Amino acid sequence: MTKSLWILMAGSAVLLATAAMVWSQENQPWRTWPTRYNAQPNVTPVPVKIRTLVPTQTGKPELCITCHVGIEDISPSHRAEAIGCVVCHGGDPLALDADRAHSSTRGKRNPSDLSVAAVSCGTQNCHGGYADEEQNHVDRVLKSLQATYAGAIAMVRYAFGAQNSPLAQFGVHAVEDTAKQPPAGALAALEELPSTAILHIIDPEFQQNCITGGCHLWSLSTPQPYYYRSSGCAACHYLYNDDGLYQGNDPTIPRDQPGHGAQHRLTTAIPFTQCNHCHNRGNYSLKQMTFMPRDDLPPVAAPPSPHEPPEVRRLSEYYQPIAEFAKCEYELECVDCHTAREVMGDGHIYGSKKDVQYVQCRTCHGTPTTSPRVATIQDANELAVRQARINGHADFLATGDSVVETDRDELLWSVKQIAPNRFVQIQKVTGQVYEVPQVMGSKCAQDGETQTSDYCHQCHFVTR
Amino acid sequence: MRVWRREKSLIYALHPQRIPESGARITYTLGLGGATVFAVLVTVATGLALTLYYVPTPGEAHASVVLINDVASFGATIRGLHYWSAQLLVITASLHLARIVFTGGYRPPRELNWLIGLGLLVTALVWDFTGYVLRWDDGAYWALLVGTNLVRDIPVWGETLYRMLVGDVQIGANALLRFYAWHAFGLTLVGILGIVYHLWRLRKDGGVSRPHLHNGERRSFISRDELFFREFIAAAFIGSALILISVFVPVPVGDAASIDAGVTTEVRAPWIFLWVQHLLRTSPPLWAGIVAPLVVLVALAAIPFLDRRGPGRATWFARERWKPQLLLAVVACALITLSIREVLL
Repeated sequence: MTKSLWILMAGSAVLLATAAMVWSQENQPWRTWPTRYNAQPNVTPVPVKIRTLVPTQTGKPELCITCHVGIEDISPSHRAEAIGCVVCHGGDPLALDADRAHSSTRGKRNPSDLSVAAVSCGTQNCHGGYADEEQNHVDRVLKSLQATYAGAIAMVRYAFGAQNSPLAQFGVHAVEDTAKQPPAGALAALEELPSTAILHIIDPEFQQNCITGGCHLWSLSTPQPYYYRSSGCAACHYLYNDDGLYQGNDPTIPRDQPGHGAQHRLTTAIPFTQCNHCHNRGNYSLKQMTFMPRDDLPPVAAPPSPHEPPEVRRLSEYYQPIAEFAKCEYELECVDCHTAREVMGDGHIYGSKKDVQYVQCRTCHGTPTTSPRVATIQDANELAVRQARINGHADFLATGDSVVETDRDELLWSVKQIAPNRFVQIQKVTGQVYEVPQVMGSKCAQDGETQTSDYCHQCHFVTR
Repeated sequence: MRVWRREKSLIYALHPQRIPESGARITYTLGLGGATVFAVLVTVATGLALTLYYVPTPGEAHASVVLINDVASFGATIRGLHYWSAQLLVITASLHLARIVFTGGYRPPRELNWLIGLGLLVTALVWDFTGYVLRWDDGAYWALLVGTNLVRDIPVWGETLYRMLVGDVQIGANALLRFYAWHAFGLTLVGILGIVYHLWRLRKDGGVSRPHLHNGERRSFISRDELFFREFIAAAFIGSALILISVFVPVPVGDAASIDAGVTTEVRAPWIFLWVQHLLRTSPPLWAGIVAPLVVLVALAAIPFLDRRGPGRATWFARERWKPQLLLAVVACALITLSIREVLL
């Protein structure tokens, strides 16, 4: 072979290698995502380049938004520019390779899954580690009835004779109350319902049908329309549409694949539709030990008419055929009465819904002889004011205002006194403000001392 | 005025004026020594580029590797070139060693150069291992833990040596900094000076070993320019192959090292030490990790002294020099078998 032929071949090899190098540089996989983002309608195109976020709180660069371009800020309290992505999600902030970036993420897509919530949401100075138990939300939720499922476990096992008392002994996972003096009705601890050792003949079936993938915060729901939801904190605070489809702009989240939240967003303005991903979805058959989904809902493909007033849908979705309820129970959102302490627990362990739900009609409406209990806002930074602020209605409350106080000393920030025996409520989801009728001075003849909310329904019930 | 003059260039000075044709034949040398030198040059050049981004602290090391790999322009390719040329140099150096044994290149007066070469191979292996550690991912961290703990098992001096190596009573920031310094500066210096010494000694020993001339046969030579030409062509092919491998076979990075996480992935030594890892499964650490490698090394060092027989050098597989060839074959088979068994576990 002549020298020039050798030179030609060697030169071609170098050229080929250089071309391959440039090609691989220009075709890095991450480039797909900003390109796809730009292909979406109604977005301002972004340059296809590596995007860096340096959160002010951590000061450490994160490249997540190179691919997750256009993702929604999770909430005004968790601004990405302040805390970034990695504080909550974990993962490798500098990796642009999808596998490497996500190999160390917490809780897969959901860092608030209860298996990891303590180290993502519940870390020191976030939602845990405070002297004030009220602020340790993750600790509270882990002990709450929605996470332990203690009441349901106790009642089912008791009904089948698997335990000889309806007192709760087991939870989905073991929990312990370290308080020196738990309040009356609270339990000191729950054992984990064993998933392998069979205590009673019903346990394996109960485990399979009701605990694994069951109706509690540790689990995910059945992946089907109406039921789509997340787990842990996000089960309530991360809103899902009934069709489970994502509607935001992040190109990495498939918009045609159900099982994603409507947007990458946390909120305390939780509409009834979110509660309904679990509640009002059907009934349990104790005999068959199974969940019987209701069959009277319109298909997801045919959503309720926009001309239909929301309360009409609300009424049709309320699913206790024999229940009696008053107008406010379907006109308000669930969270307007079921307070944070009721839903997320008060830090103690309970074995029954009866011990947890305590907000009554009279809490806000009073009795024929008494006005609702009120407390005055002392400090612009106290819990009630913070709750109003996080809910997006900071201007509803000011220091010196009087708000309703419950039997368990919880302040209802959304119900404030405007004059003696006159109260207004702000709806947490819509922001609508209206007056709360008071029993005192009305024709009501109820005995406030001995009669509970059930008695109110005798007169104030609504027929469907 | 001419700034550059060919006859005054350094690369000219590094090559002899003319080279005996029989010693420069590709079927004889296989170009392995040259390929190794080229691989070292690529490794050093790309290593220099990597120092621009690499940060040798436990908190930043892994992140900086990820940054190099995913963010820096051509970072993955440069890191790939660094890794693959380092693997190539271990392979070509080992094959070069085998070539020397099977052609009898170790024979007097080249015994010393044989030992220098062996020292260079050891340098390359340590160079390789220290580089592996710098990734500071799960695998590298545990390999470092195992590797340094072996030193502790040396009688009497073990703990002292361990502390000199690690710079602390345990693996941490000091160890990483030391391994970085050794990898990037110390071993680079040793390696490059060693190569220079090896090549200088080669010329002093009379160039590449080659067959004796038959009576009446005329010696023929190739020119320095011809040698350059061959070198550049070979470099172009090897370099292109390295780039293509770097582009299409990405070098892994694991999750960041964390002792708290425990052993989450399977700990695997770099491939060159798989045989040691396999011995460690069955033998005490001192024997598997220190004595066995030393025995291999001493056996190889003894090769020029095992065979002091007369002429017949520079022929492949000469029957009268069966002893060193058998020794190397046995050692190579043993190491390869142990490594394969470790992989198949």
